[in-house]
Amino acid sequence: MKRPRIGVFKFTSCDGCQLSVLNLEEELLDLIGLFQITYFREATDRPLRGHLDIALVEGSISTERQKGHVIEIRERTRYLVTIGACATSGGLQALRNWANIEDYKKAVYPSPAMIETLPSSTPISDHVHVDYELWGCPISSDELSETLGSFLLDRRPGMPAYSLCMECKSRGIPCLLVAKSEPCLGPVTRAGCGVLCPSLERPCYGCFGPKEGANIDSLLNVFRKNGFSHHECALLLDKMNTYAYRKARTGEGHP
Amino acid sequence: MKRLFKVDYLSRVEGETGITAEIQDGEVTVRAGVFEAPRFFESFLKGRHYSDVADFTARICGICPVAYQMSAVHAIERIFGVEVEEPIRELRRLLYCGEWIESHALHIYFLQGPDFCGAESAWSKKDYLPIAKRGLSFKKLGNRILTLLGGRPTHPVSVKVGGFSKLPKKNILLSILPDLQQAYQESLREVERTARLPFQNHTLDMECVSLCDPREYPMNHGNAISNSGINTPMAGFLAMVRESQVSHSNALHAKIRKDGRESPYLVGPISRVNLNAEKLPAEITTTMEKCGISLPIMNTRMGITARSIELSYAFHEAMRIIRAYEAPPEPSVRFQPGEGEATWITEAPRGMLIHRYALDHEGYVKDCTLIPPTSQNLAQVERDLRDFIQSHIDKPVEFLKKESEKIVRSYDPCISCSVHLVDLEGNKQGKPSYGIRGDLA
Repeated sequence: MKRPRIGVFKFTSCDGCQLSVLNLEEELLDLIGLFQITYFREATDRPLRGHLDIALVEGSISTERQKGHVIEIRERTRYLVTIGACATSGGLQALRNWANIEDYKKAVYPSPAMIETLPSSTPISDHVHVDYELWGCPISSDELSETLGSFLLDRRPGMPAYSLCMECKSRGIPCLLVAKSEPCLGPVTRAGCGVLCPSLERPCYGCFGPKEGANIDSLLNVFRKNGFSHHECALLLDKMNTYAYRKARTGEGHP
Repeated sequence: MKRLFKVDYLSRVEGETGITAEIQDGEVTVRAGVFEAPRFFESFLKGRHYSDVADFTARICGICPVAYQMSAVHAIERIFGVEVEEPIRELRRLLYCGEWIESHALHIYFLQGPDFCGAESAWSKKDYLPIAKRGLSFKKLGNRILTLLGGRPTHPVSVKVGGFSKLPKKNILLSILPDLQQAYQESLREVERTARLPFQNHTLDMECVSLCDPREYPMNHGNAISNSGINTPMAGFLAMVRESQVSHSNALHAKIRKDGRESPYLVGPISRVNLNAEKLPAEITTTMEKCGISLPIMNTRMGITARSIELSYAFHEAMRIIRAYEAPPEPSVRFQPGEGEATWITEAPRGMLIHRYALDHEGYVKDCTLIPPTSQNLAQVERDLRDFIQSHIDKPVEFLKKESEKIVRSYDPCISCSVHLVDLEGNKQGKPSYGIRGDLA
């Protein structure tokens, strides 16, 4: 069999999800045997040529030139897979979407006029068709292996559709929301991290984004009853997946 | 005659950067342009609660998130007057060891390493593969330390103001000792290997800056010192740094202001080794002497050697901390949030990471300054490139281009870190200079 051609691309991001490709460790060498790594700027000098079977896309769209670039990638790719919160829901930098970008520029740069950027940071799916989305800030290496393995077997990746609470309960971890009244986003957040935060005794802060059909307002009502202000509740959702949680909350359909 | 070369999108570095060099009548102009899109962290941190700061700033960089968490929690603890207990202090150091190992291994074996054997990547040449595998096993061990303490290697979740959310059990930490011991022995041989790589002989008179702590090789504590006599507490160093915006880069360039002049400086492993070698374990310094590493290192191409020395040190230090560790009764100390301002610097894998925060009486951020190591090194990188091209001006452009790429890579620049960045190169010439376009075939 001809090895499928894979490319890794980056837009506005921290590079952490690309790093999960290198963090596959021993599996990385297997990956290199099973796929042909056609483009991966962070790890190899090889320029981009020809079509791709899979494009792993990290980062959000936040400049004009990126809009054209993502279309170019789409055109030469069979399956486009977004990796991580930035590519899948705009990332932490999407907080600018609810602010005045000119104020932002002034706060960081002495000559704000020289800064070319869009007023918003948006997920890849706002610009081109996305075949599959990997959530997480960062993604889990296991989910990445599952996705790439599924491609070779020509089946859909088996990713959980339930909330973090399900995994937490099955692991027998005491509930931080019920037992300690902590503002845990577990009930409305998709599983996938391996119950990282609750197992380290801190409430979930939403790395994996909203679970489909999550009733976010109902959870916020519980937080309010536990003494958190309106403002504090809003800030809880405005993190790495701010764009997705806000969308899910206003019922504009799941992103 | 005018000669010009341009690297649109440099490979094997973190983030998006390019190089433009122009040679005219013996004069060299070099620009290390950064076209990574800006993310405005300093803006959206305003109005956020102090408890979000470590999680948010970690997202600036997927390779060195712990550095951001460390600079952030120390600065905030300083504002609140929090003193953590000794075991917590040590565990934070262990966490940093994990990050140094993971980040240094990535650079030594995957980013800079392939340059010395003419490979395009760590897996493109058969005879480099055993070396790459060694790198992977080191990196994996760094990631294991990060995972034991913080749940995952990228953006670990247990660090908080006052300590950790949960502490690891001693027997779990002890379980990685045998692997650390083996890696440490291998890493000593790697110091020798990387010291003997074929380096372009090119030394510079540089101002090297790092933290210096009388107790230990610097990570989270100390004064900022330099080889030209700077010795100042952290806040004093921030006052000496001038950040300026240059027309070809989205990253602000930092320089030191001294005696009325502004000059480039170098932070990172070379500076740390040069200024703190006496705090390295005897076994490592003996190895250094044996393979002819003479200090101070003034050839920036030897970044890979300095990283190998620190990789070895991080294994050694991790073992020391694990052996001595006794869990304190509480994972974090209690404190009262309050108003104030503070600066803190810690040693990220790539060098000093400066954070300054001003908080209001409820602990919300009023404003902040973040200066990553790469911003501090950019002016030095340009100076290095200019100097190199000037002294090899008769060489073919293709040679100069290849060597320039290697020079930039040897600094291990982390462009994602330079949060304040923009593509002006493209603007000026009316067309985008995005690397991938140039690559289209």
